[in-house]
Amino acid sequence: MIDANCPSCGAAVHFRTPALPVKICDYCRTTLVRSGDVLQAMGKVAEVPEDVSPLQIGTRGSDGGIGFELIGRIRMRWSGGGWNEWLALFNDGSTGWLSEAMGRFMLLRAVAHDGLRTDAVRRVRDDETIPIGSEATIDGVAYRVNDVKDATFVGSEGELPFSTPADTPIRSVDLMAPGGECASIQKDRGEVSVYAGRYVTLSDIAASNLRAFEGWPTPRFAA
Amino acid sequence: MTAPVSTVRALTCPNCGGTIALRAAGSTISIVCEHCGTTLDATSPDLAPIAQATTAMQRPPIALGTRGDIGGVLWEVVGYVERTDTYVSWSEYLLFNPYDGYAFLVDDGRRFSLGVLLDRLPDHTDGSITVDGLRFERFGSRYGAWVTFVVGEFYWRVSVQEHVEITDFVRPGTMLSCEENADERTWTQLRLLDFGEAETAFGIPKRRKSYGGTPAPHEPSPYGDSMKEALIIGVVAAITLIAILLMGSRTTMLDTASLAVPLNGTTTTQVIGPVDLPDRMAGVRIAARADRIDNSWIDLDYSLVNRATQQSFDAYATADQYHGVSGGESWREGDSTPNVQLSSIPAGKYDLVVEATGHRWTSIAAAAPDFGSSDTVTIPLTITISRGGIFMGNLVLALVALLCWPVIIVLLHGGFEKRRRAPVTEDDE
Repeated sequence: MIDANCPSCGAAVHFRTPALPVKICDYCRTTLVRSGDVLQAMGKVAEVPEDVSPLQIGTRGSDGGIGFELIGRIRMRWSGGGWNEWLALFNDGSTGWLSEAMGRFMLLRAVAHDGLRTDAVRRVRDDETIPIGSEATIDGVAYRVNDVKDATFVGSEGELPFSTPADTPIRSVDLMAPGGECASIQKDRGEVSVYAGRYVTLSDIAASNLRAFEGWPTPRFAA
Repeated sequence: MTAPVSTVRALTCPNCGGTIALRAAGSTISIVCEHCGTTLDATSPDLAPIAQATTAMQRPPIALGTRGDIGGVLWEVVGYVERTDTYVSWSEYLLFNPYDGYAFLVDDGRRFSLGVLLDRLPDHTDGSITVDGLRFERFGSRYGAWVTFVVGEFYWRVSVQEHVEITDFVRPGTMLSCEENADERTWTQLRLLDFGEAETAFGIPKRRKSYGGTPAPHEPSPYGDSMKEALIIGVVAAITLIAILLMGSRTTMLDTASLAVPLNGTTTTQVIGPVDLPDRMAGVRIAARADRIDNSWIDLDYSLVNRATQQSFDAYATADQYHGVSGGESWREGDSTPNVQLSSIPAGKYDLVVEATGHRWTSIAAAAPDFGSSDTVTIPLTITISRGGIFMGNLVLALVALLCWPVIIVLLHGGFEKRRRAPVTEDDE
């Protein structure tokens, strides 16, 4: 837990975990990058446009018996639409991503670099084309590429592992496997990251503290 | 807890100025104005028009914004698409729930199916595919589908004339539909809804429950379950029937007698018995045996007479055997051991009166060999009377009666399956 003040607007800034160096100021939307005890302002990011996502900062859930809370969010956009990447801080201090697109959710965790020797990862790194349906084995699971998107950051909020300047070009490749596993390969500012996990429903992760919508009953699992 | 927010946002169509609802902000990519049909880009801040309407506006049978509960999940209609493969047309409603995402309500004009995007890759093996251990058979070949009408909001870029290639895989009650275009391949799993389920949920008139016409590719045969039952019951009943008859068919020899029958047309009479029939209703079998009969016949008149009541049960048999040569072929025919069965004989003590009349057959072509004094030739005949015995006629009738229903239902099932497969069997030919 680290408490400081926004160098831009003076508002109180609260870091939940020392593992995450970036926080978007809740008041002035300045990107604050922490290095040691020094907070540096890195320019403002856009507010995430209002959407009907059931998730919000503070939504809780659990995966494999370990509880988590959503503490950050990045809104992505590509030519065919947009999606949300929610950062989950687990009770054991680790982090993961709850990726939300078209009303579906993928719960993903970063894969260590041993798992990156697959051709699809090399192709993303080298900016080569990746045909839909091509195979990729990550951590022993045989996936197939189901879409390739060129995206940018639209806006973000909360705590994040990296800054999200607008118009950053990002290549995002989604993969699927027969067992319900899914994976994502992302290239952001020259760096390739691989995430793997599975498709989940809000019921699967026992989501609570969801947003309430007028006229829509709260799901049974969240009540 | 923050106060509940509305999922619906009112927007103004930049083309016609009409008020349109945005029900899934953040996910919706395109909106087709329900007043003027203009396609709007929901990702642009000013709802930039993308395309003008090319078809006349119409109202979906289930209005946009209608909510319905299917299987415990509340869905709201947010979009409506009509599609065709140029042979048949169908419509699809895009359903939305902020917690459960999207689903498709597919209407083939007869029945509704509820579809969700598959979140895993199907496993391919030859012509069939497997999802979660369930096997789906390919239904026909790949076909093109075109959008003919669209209204509402969608999480993809919709347009009239939008074209995809579809391959269907089915198992009873479920269909996996694979839609492909140049950029992506999506799998949708469709569950056939019960008759009336969608109509009740969304408040539209109920359709008549009918299995006529062309069934849906994934429609389970309405006769499938009863066919299995009927076949199992039929087989068990048939086996039971045969077993009972076989057990009851053990015969008990009651009496036997031999007589010499002259072949001169005179009648020999012999009384055999008495025999006891203890069962309330018994079957009686009278077997004759005339091994040495040759080119002659013996008429046998039987009368089974009840000693107490003088009630008589009559039967008739012929023992005969002929042979000869015609057209250079030698032939032999006849039955030297005729049996007769009498059924439902009441219990009692009986005498069997046998009247046997022997005749010599004289062929014109082949003159009978001279036995010398033909008047004196006699044939030994053995008559055996026994109790019990199986009545084949009755057995066959009972089996036909038993198997009637299974056969009818197998035919109904076959007819349904043939109609279900008709659209693709025509393709294959």
